[in-house]
Amino acid sequence: MTGQAWKRAAVQYGGLLGVVVVLLLVFGLTSDNFLRRSTMISIANQIPDLTFIAVGMTLVLICGGIDLSVGSQLALASAVLGVLMTDFRWPLWAAVPVSLFSGSLCGLWNGVVSAAFRIPSFIVTLGMLEIARGTTKVLTDSQSLYLGSSVEWFGVPLSGIPVSPAFLLAVGTVLAGQFLLTQTVFGRYCVAIGTSEETVRLSGIRSWPVLVSVFVISGILCGLAGLAQTARLSTVDPNAAVGLELAAIAACVIGGTSLMGGRGSVIGSFFGVLIIAVLQTGLAHLGVSDASKQIITGCVIVAAVFLDALRTRFRSNGA
Amino acid sequence: MQRTGILPAAGVLLLPLLFLPGCRDSSETASVSENPADSSNGRPRVALIMKSLANEFFSTMAAGAEQHQADHADEYELIVNGIKDERDLARQVALVEEMTAAGVDAIVIAPADSKALVPVLRRARQAGVIVVNIDNRLDADVLRQENVRIPFVGPDNRAGARAVGACVAEHLQPGDQVAILEGIRTSDNARQRLLGFQDAMQAAGMEIVDSQSAEWEMSRASTVAASMLSEHPELAALLAANDSMALGALAAVRAAGRSGQILIAGFDNISAVRSAIQEGRILATADQHGDQLAVFGIEAALKILKNPDEIPDDVETPVDLITAETVAP
Repeated sequence: MTGQAWKRAAVQYGGLLGVVVVLLLVFGLTSDNFLRRSTMISIANQIPDLTFIAVGMTLVLICGGIDLSVGSQLALASAVLGVLMTDFRWPLWAAVPVSLFSGSLCGLWNGVVSAAFRIPSFIVTLGMLEIARGTTKVLTDSQSLYLGSSVEWFGVPLSGIPVSPAFLLAVGTVLAGQFLLTQTVFGRYCVAIGTSEETVRLSGIRSWPVLVSVFVISGILCGLAGLAQTARLSTVDPNAAVGLELAAIAACVIGGTSLMGGRGSVIGSFFGVLIIAVLQTGLAHLGVSDASKQIITGCVIVAAVFLDALRTRFRSNGA
Repeated sequence: MQRTGILPAAGVLLLPLLFLPGCRDSSETASVSENPADSSNGRPRVALIMKSLANEFFSTMAAGAEQHQADHADEYELIVNGIKDERDLARQVALVEEMTAAGVDAIVIAPADSKALVPVLRRARQAGVIVVNIDNRLDADVLRQENVRIPFVGPDNRAGARAVGACVAEHLQPGDQVAILEGIRTSDNARQRLLGFQDAMQAAGMEIVDSQSAEWEMSRASTVAASMLSEHPELAALLAANDSMALGALAAVRAAGRSGQILIAGFDNISAVRSAIQEGRILATADQHGDQLAVFGIEAALKILKNPDEIPDDVETPVDLITAETVAP
């Protein structure tokens, strides 16, 4: 990268990195064993699920949409995986594509209904939130499925390097998402649609293929998140990821993605995920009460967004 | 634009209906054994009001009750209802009101909250409905304030947790460090199990170095347990107040590369944990015969219906310790 590009990256992500560092220092000073290699490894191995989902959510938000069904889609994809592997005794390599396919179908449905028929994605995905969760319960008969060691390898640290395959894939997804957003025509269209869909249409560009693709991508990433969570827990939980959509939206907004569409960064969302994960782990280290955890988490989310707003204002004034 | 918009919109609204027939655990679907209006043949009608039927523990309980009704079809009718998630208090209160209005003879309820359900249950009692409390015990103080007697039929969670804790302690040395994963603190079960674990650890001379709520949830428990493991490197055992959290703890122990070094115990005896106990990854859990809990409650209600003047005392149902020796496949 050129010096200028570094400078731009520093301005864009410096604040978020600062928040992460401050959190690490605060928890390091207040708890006995926080700043250790094992804690960092444990954080790294917990974030893949939320990371996958936040990448998809970022793209959806940039297009001016929202996807409330991500948590249910995660649960559905892991239920498909679990049922195929336990009831039908499929091997992992055969069950994973079907599980990802179930995610992409949910995404396709969300995309087609909201884009082609101009129904707000808020309501379409709210419907999918219930449909996918209900289907999950039907598939699993509302029972947790124990898969044991067959899926573990994806979620446990590799020998040699301390991170799991799921983490590596999640980081790869973040980079690919950022590339897609900033370096491709598709990414430009996403930003344009989120800024003003009407203008895009008047320019003779069809917006629905882009919107449908974005929801399908989000669905497939939910499938990957389901795989990551199932591997981490070795168990399929029909109640998995209830409320995860809010954590994902929080991560995106902390990372500077606008809920109004047209502005956002996948790498920023990754920082958002990191901030949430460090906060969660740090508060558990301190052993503070549940109520305090919620209050502190809420304050940090607002503070992080506030810092980001300051940065944006500073930059637009300076430029 | 208008014309193309409306039909698909209607389609979207109707589509979820396709899923309903298969959705036996959907929050609002009541499975009525027979048309409630047709109760002229004198069989009493019992409403079973559960917590979330998405939770394996409660769906098993409901299935046990439905089986019991099928075996005793000539003795009573059963209406089973659940709420969408465990915190949906308002819906559960509404269910009690709806069942009272529907004129059922008895309500058997697993309250989502030990206090908030008392007033509406008092109103049900005043309307002449027999009420039996199962699973989660209603708060004694509030019952006294509301001046209503509702018998509790259920297990002694504290004794069950004490037995699980004692089993773990047998495998430890006095002075070893243990940590507890608690349930949601507003629920009585969570408090009783915490007390039971504390009793057992104190009796055996263990040191409880950490005790946090993971809200009954697997993924949450794995995050909290991972932090406990790195904050307290000497930790020897993790006691979880339910089996989902025990599975989360198991995942955290494995991710920390300490499989086999940390003893894990749960509570509830769900099938996923039975496999883990057989494989030796989890040491113990407690079986409170969840499939029979609602049945015990229904039997108590039927007994009161036969003899309405005599409201019995609380009935304690059995809790068994499950380990590798006693686990059923």
